[in-house]
Amino acid sequence: MFSLRGCGPCVAASFTKKHLPLLRFIGDSAAPLSTNFDVVVIGGGHAGTEAAAAAARCGSRTLLLTHRVDTIGQMSCNPSFGGIGKGHLMREVDALDGLCSRICDQSGVHYKVLNRRKGPAVWGLRAQIDRKLYKQNMQKEILNTPLLTVQEGAVEDLILTEPEPEHTGKCRVSGVVLADGSTVHAESVVLTTGTFLRGVIVIGLETHPAGRLGDQPSIGLAQTLEKLGFVVGRLKTGTPPRIAKESINFSILNKQTPDNPSIPFSFINETVWIKPEDQLPCYLTHTNPRVDEIVLENLHLNSHIKETTRGPRYCPSIESKVLRFPNRLHQIWLEPEGMDSDLIYPQGLSVTLPAELQEKMITCIKGLEKAKMIQPGYGVQYDYLDPRQITPSLETHLVQRLFFAGQINGTTGYEEAAAQGVIAGINASLRVKRKPPFVISRTEGYIGVLIDDLTTLGTNEPYRMFTSRAEFRLSLRPDNADSRLTFRGYKEVGCVSQQRYERASRMKTSLEEGISVLKSIEFSSSKWKKLIPEASISIGKSLPLRALDVLKYEEVDMKLLAKAVPEPLKKYIKCRELAERLKIEATYESVLFHQQQQIKEVQRDEALQLPKDLDYLTLRDVSLSYEVREKLQFSRPETIGAASRIPGVTPAAIINLLRFVKTSQQRQMAVHELPRTDQSLCDTDRLEERQL
Amino acid sequence: MWRGLWTLVAWAARGPRSPRSCTRQGSGAPAPGSGATIFALSSGQGRCGIAVIRTSGPASGHALRSLTAPRDLPPARSACLRLLSHPRSGEPLDRALVLWFPGPQSFTGEDCAEFHVHGGPAVVSGVLQALGSVPGLRPAEAGEFTRRAFAHGKLSLTEVEGLADLIHAETEAQRRQALRQLDGELGHLCHGWAKTLTKALAHVEAYIDFGEDDNLEEGVLERADSQVRELELALSAHLRDARRGQRLRSGAHVVVAGPPNAGKSSLVNLLSRKPVSIVSPEPGTTRDVLEIPVDLAGFPALLSDTAGLREGVGPVEQEGVRRARERLQQADLILAVLDASDLASPSSRNFLDTVVAPAGAGSPNESSQRLLLVLNKSDLLPPGGPGPSPNLPPHLLLSCLTGEGLDDLLEALRKELAEVCGDPSTGPPLLTRARHQHHLQGCLDALGHYRQTKDLALAAEALRLARGHLGRITGGGSTEEVLDIIFRDFCVGK
Repeated sequence: MFSLRGCGPCVAASFTKKHLPLLRFIGDSAAPLSTNFDVVVIGGGHAGTEAAAAAARCGSRTLLLTHRVDTIGQMSCNPSFGGIGKGHLMREVDALDGLCSRICDQSGVHYKVLNRRKGPAVWGLRAQIDRKLYKQNMQKEILNTPLLTVQEGAVEDLILTEPEPEHTGKCRVSGVVLADGSTVHAESVVLTTGTFLRGVIVIGLETHPAGRLGDQPSIGLAQTLEKLGFVVGRLKTGTPPRIAKESINFSILNKQTPDNPSIPFSFINETVWIKPEDQLPCYLTHTNPRVDEIVLENLHLNSHIKETTRGPRYCPSIESKVLRFPNRLHQIWLEPEGMDSDLIYPQGLSVTLPAELQEKMITCIKGLEKAKMIQPGYGVQYDYLDPRQITPSLETHLVQRLFFAGQINGTTGYEEAAAQGVIAGINASLRVKRKPPFVISRTEGYIGVLIDDLTTLGTNEPYRMFTSRAEFRLSLRPDNADSRLTFRGYKEVGCVSQQRYERASRMKTSLEEGISVLKSIEFSSSKWKKLIPEASISIGKSLPLRALDVLKYEEVDMKLLAKAVPEPLKKYIKCRELAERLKIEATYESVLFHQQQQIKEVQRDEALQLPKDLDYLTLRDVSLSYEVREKLQFSRPETIGAASRIPGVTPAAIINLLRFVKTSQQRQMAVHELPRTDQSLCDTDRLEERQL
Repeated sequence: MWRGLWTLVAWAARGPRSPRSCTRQGSGAPAPGSGATIFALSSGQGRCGIAVIRTSGPASGHALRSLTAPRDLPPARSACLRLLSHPRSGEPLDRALVLWFPGPQSFTGEDCAEFHVHGGPAVVSGVLQALGSVPGLRPAEAGEFTRRAFAHGKLSLTEVEGLADLIHAETEAQRRQALRQLDGELGHLCHGWAKTLTKALAHVEAYIDFGEDDNLEEGVLERADSQVRELELALSAHLRDARRGQRLRSGAHVVVAGPPNAGKSSLVNLLSRKPVSIVSPEPGTTRDVLEIPVDLAGFPALLSDTAGLREGVGPVEQEGVRRARERLQQADLILAVLDASDLASPSSRNFLDTVVAPAGAGSPNESSQRLLLVLNKSDLLPPGGPGPSPNLPPHLLLSCLTGEGLDDLLEALRKELAEVCGDPSTGPPLLTRARHQHHLQGCLDALGHYRQTKDLALAAEALRLARGHLGRITGGGSTEEVLDIIFRDFCVGK
């Protein structure tokens, strides 16, 4: 029989009641041992690590609570990071000085950019990652982050107190209760508990609770959330079996080699830790009709597939592929799990058949005839909280200062979790400092698209990022994430290091200068043709052509251009990144002009804030249908822009809301004109708080 | 899904134009990031000698110069007589008064221009089409002028109170107008095109998002390419052909409806002063929709006589009932006719519940329609009797036989039609067609871009833009719809 310990997302995210000694890992020797923290983050997965590190970067004394320190940074499913859309998210996390991109640059074993021939806006940075190295490097980073303390412990309950009167929400979180009965006080709490909520592992007809056998996963916390009135849904996902590397016949399979040179994930790295020639290959194989037969003959032994819990519209498992797209060969990528790992991860073979049948199925695949299965694939079913119950800063509507990030919000994927983690950590910290929230709009980044989709539309399948979700795809590119987010992160919240900020500033200056130089160089088309015979420039246009226009041709890059016009272009090819980014800016220049216009229009809507304390159900003097009221009440959009994206909210309803925006703006202005009154009001409030 | 106030036409806002013209400074094109410039007819249809067309937005000055080229802008806020001509063809359009209102001292707070042209539909639609060809300009959405004025603080809060109602009314009017326009061949075509285009877009998007990690079958992109090419051919053929075909039915659509044998046809004959419809005491005499252009109380109207609404009759009459219901959806004004002496019958009650009540009781936010309730055959009521039930909504008594009550009805019609016709958004179908042509042309231009682009992200952008233009006519094309097609057509996942 196979052991389920330590093998999956559920375990990484589960909570144990078992009493563990309260180990303390002090990252910052100056920080006093204390059970009072500014921010407490629960969970050490991809959302939790980013949240904790971000809060600490913002200057908050932060505690990361995890059930086992040695699972921090565990990659519980696929041994890879990035991809199309997901690579975009990683670049944005990095632009805010997040961790995962830098750690990946230290831990990868096979770096490859996807979509190379489809245009730089949709390039997908991706790498196979060594699980062990990633975990080690992440733990080193987390345990050495100033202001960040790590503690082992299982969280049983939240401590709730009276709400702050100036904010909405029926109560405020002020700490957590651990399994041993001790308490930790916190100004903000971030919950990144992955699939712990009633998580269940499924193999064949067997099911196990997500915690270790006999342990119910953190019932207390789940019950508290439910009692508070959070709306809960259920999702399912799965992971493939693992195969012994030496039992695979790679010689008859298609080999995929990594890129040379490797493109790093992080803006601050020129290169990755490992040379291309030392990296590991991946291999491609396919399913065949025999695999279909095994799946179809044994559906009755497969409760994960039979049950009605809603899976995604896409095909997460081999069973769904066979059922929905029969008589096809499906791809299986054989991916290394690490430099010195004996395991291979067959991507595309996620399966929940009984273990014996999984092995039987594997051995009928080409190259895997003699494969030894080390660990079976399994399904996971878990509860998630409807993400329409959180704000764009990831704070819950119901409980003040309680933040949710990661799979608990219905997303899937490390990158989606990391992206939410950074935002939750930053905002948990800002909330403590009583500063306005840090929100990324969908015009500024994939992070914004992700969070706006979740908070306005909700989701009923594990939400995964695709570039097709981003309407401003040509503006939100992997290459320019720093110019979109690094400055905001530095100036507004201080989550970005001085070094990164200066690097981004230098790049920005060079880019702007380069573009204006490229615009200033003008020759006739026939002269350009002579200078760069490789380019398919059509002669005969009477207008002179700018160097920037010539750079738009697919076959022209900065090197060619600098060869043709060495002065003043020579200096722009010294830096690979700068040369590449100039080329990309030229490619999209004409379209970006129009996109910028649309972005401004969206931002105008988003600048119109809706009052947070509106009770839409009882709002008087407004003509809104009951259906619209209910939708607004549930999602609580923060801006007119977000409200207009909620399906079923009509233009007329939006106008009525606009009226409220304007009236409340006028009210605010009146308050600002009378600062003294304002001050005295605050004092009264505080007085009352004390009396409470 | 409704997408944002100023983003309504996020994709459609971008007209066809060369990349260079926009990147150069001083070409008269609007500065980046200042939003689109909108135009619309702002006077009503009907008997007007002068029609007023307005623009608002940063390209207003550019538009004014383009149509009056090569003249300079007129002095601010004073009327000047100018010859308007089409900026591309140079074809003269009209001699008109033009006014130039530089922002912020204008109705919307933005740069505005006004063209006071001679009111004929041909001139009006010519000028609108000319404006549509100016880069950076697009037709305004319902209520968009007022919304802009509001956004720039040009309206007081009390004025805004009525804005939601206004926008609702305009949206409804445009919806009915679009229903009429899309009822028939053009509608079939547009929906077919939209479906093909969404699918092509979904396949290109799938190729971008899943082309490398998952195995899409061979030839996805090639199939999308050939679909786009077919679509281009169909669209350009249609646009070349657009001058003929559609019969244009001008005027407010007034639909006479009611249960069988209430006297609908008699009322139609009375109002049109000629025996258009066959009248008989037998219920179900009228089986198809009859249309008569008439002059009602001084307004151009299209009067439709419909089959009496009842269930459980023969297939021919059933079809008539179906058409009657369809026509009710498209009506600007419903004349609901009941037999005053037969109000308790099931068919009368049913009609009151299903047609009269929803229209009359609607708050401004529900989809309400204008409706006049007419109780015919008042001559059959006992003289001096208690009259019809007091529970009825406001109504008029009429006898088509004696003509008693006709003056009151005409007065009520005059009031209603003045409202309907005073609303520019219900404008003649010619204008709706101009709007459609604008978007079809935009769609076609974007498809041309798709074909010429090698960068797949740019090519997909062109398809999104094209779909956005069609979406202004048919709706749909959301991200979710695209993802649905991707996951239905391809086996993609982990």
